Amino acid sequence: MTDPGSIAPNPASIGRIPAPPFARLPDPRRLFEARRERLEFLAQTSALAPYLRFIAGIAAGQNAIQDELPEPQLPPADEIDRAREFGMPPLDRNRIELDDILSETLSRLFDAVRPLAKPDEAQAALDRVSAAEPAQMRDFVRSVLADEIPADALAEHVYVAAGLQVHFARLAAKLDKDRLPRIGDGTCPCCGGPPTSSLVVGWMEAEGTRYCSCSLCGTLWNVVRVKCVLCSSGKGIGYKEIEGGPGTIKAECCDNCRAYVKIFYQQKDMALDPVADDIASLGLDLLLKDSEYRRGSFNPFLLGT
Amino acid sequence: MNMELSRRGFLKAAGVGVAGSTLGAFGFPELEAAEAAAIRPFKLTNTMETRNTCPYCSVACGIIMYSKGDLRKGETAEIVHIEGDADHPTNRGTLCPKGAALKDFVKAETRLKTPMMRKPGSDKFERVSWEQALDRIARLMKDDRDANFIATNQAGVPVNRWTTVGFLAASATTNETAYLTYKVVRSTGIVAFDNQARV
Repeated sequence: MTDPGSIAPNPASIGRIPAPPFARLPDPRRLFEARRERLEFLAQTSALAPYLRFIAGIAAGQNAIQDELPEPQLPPADEIDRAREFGMPPLDRNRIELDDILSETLSRLFDAVRPLAKPDEAQAALDRVSAAEPAQMRDFVRSVLADEIPADALAEHVYVAAGLQVHFARLAAKLDKDRLPRIGDGTCPCCGGPPTSSLVVGWMEAEGTRYCSCSLCGTLWNVVRVKCVLCSSGKGIGYKEIEGGPGTIKAECCDNCRAYVKIFYQQKDMALDPVADDIASLGLDLLLKDSEYRRGSFNPFLLGT
Repeated sequence: MNMELSRRGFLKAAGVGVAGSTLGAFGFPELEAAEAAAIRPFKLTNTMETRNTCPYCSVACGIIMYSKGDLRKGETAEIVHIEGDADHPTNRGTLCPKGAALKDFVKAETRLKTPMMRKPGSDKFERVSWEQALDRIARLMKDDRDANFIATNQAGVPVNRWTTVGFLAASATTNETAYLTYKVVRSTGIVAFDNQARV
């Protein structure tokens, strides 16, 4: 907003503090590794340790498989331009095909998860999803991308969702962050995904601003604070946390749409991870279960809570 | 636009409890049950974050005030922290030393909350009603204006100046308030006037 070279005066901007960047694209090599580290750290003290270690194992797999995967292909430039022109995300989830690269991403992830220690249910679901025919796999992919995960095959879909996270993070990383459309407060500008949680960041030149974290591709996008990321209402926003907590993890509750999305204050604790800490703070969700607010965010590793 | 609604609707329609959660489906249902039991004795507390404008000067920086307690639920709320609003285009989260100390300004024991008057010869301020205060101010201003108003200069040209009184207005006001303040004050002829809308 502040541009010292601009001739037109702008009375609102007086300083040299730049506007915060609209979006930060994921670094797929760092994203899953950081999540694994955080999950293992949280597992040291959490009662959910066995589950956190299992998800950490999946995150390790999500990172490791990238070494040998071929580069995914972005949609053609004219399609990206057209999406931008009409305010749509450049990665169109409805048109993602189960191509060779995506198939390989999924099967490599299933192989990477296989040696992990896990309950029988998780192993059985992994066996089923690994053996799925291409047509069935296509249905899995379509259900995950539509955020419509059926309860009777939940675990299978979560494995597929983990694979899609890798694929979409690698795709999103190739986009031009300066040419992303602003779609809506609660919609990822890269892939149209719903947020997992939001972060109040402590980044240089953006300190104290809030970024939503995409549940699919891991892109962070800027949304004004004290505003519901689901319905964009700015009225009646309250922040609930467990009494006696450090004030770093709160549920942003909206009186308009009666839903909440967790918000992590990274400027107080740099280590907070939008996915890992969402899982580890399950207690906050369980306390809010009896309240008037429902969980409005999407995290494949914490569905149905 | 809430895509999660359809998902949630599906899970509800399937009539699932813990078994319909990712933890349950992966074979960790006892962890979720144990977490629910462990968390039950804890309570939730509510913090509000409220946007406002710093009242000090005409820069009018954006601030976020944090308060404990939920006014929406009929509780009382108390300000626990104030910081710069990083979304505000003017200050982008920064504050000057005065603005950074706003919480002490709000909570100061000496903070002026009602009109106070120190009578001639008295050594202390006494509380007066707004009615009394405004009547007294109006009376004194009228008397001063009647005594010192300059209608014309030496050449006989009308100037309508009132130079013996100054007026300082607040910063955290709307354009409309600033406009009205200007019109009222200037039409009395007051010259020494700052409505803090100058930046």
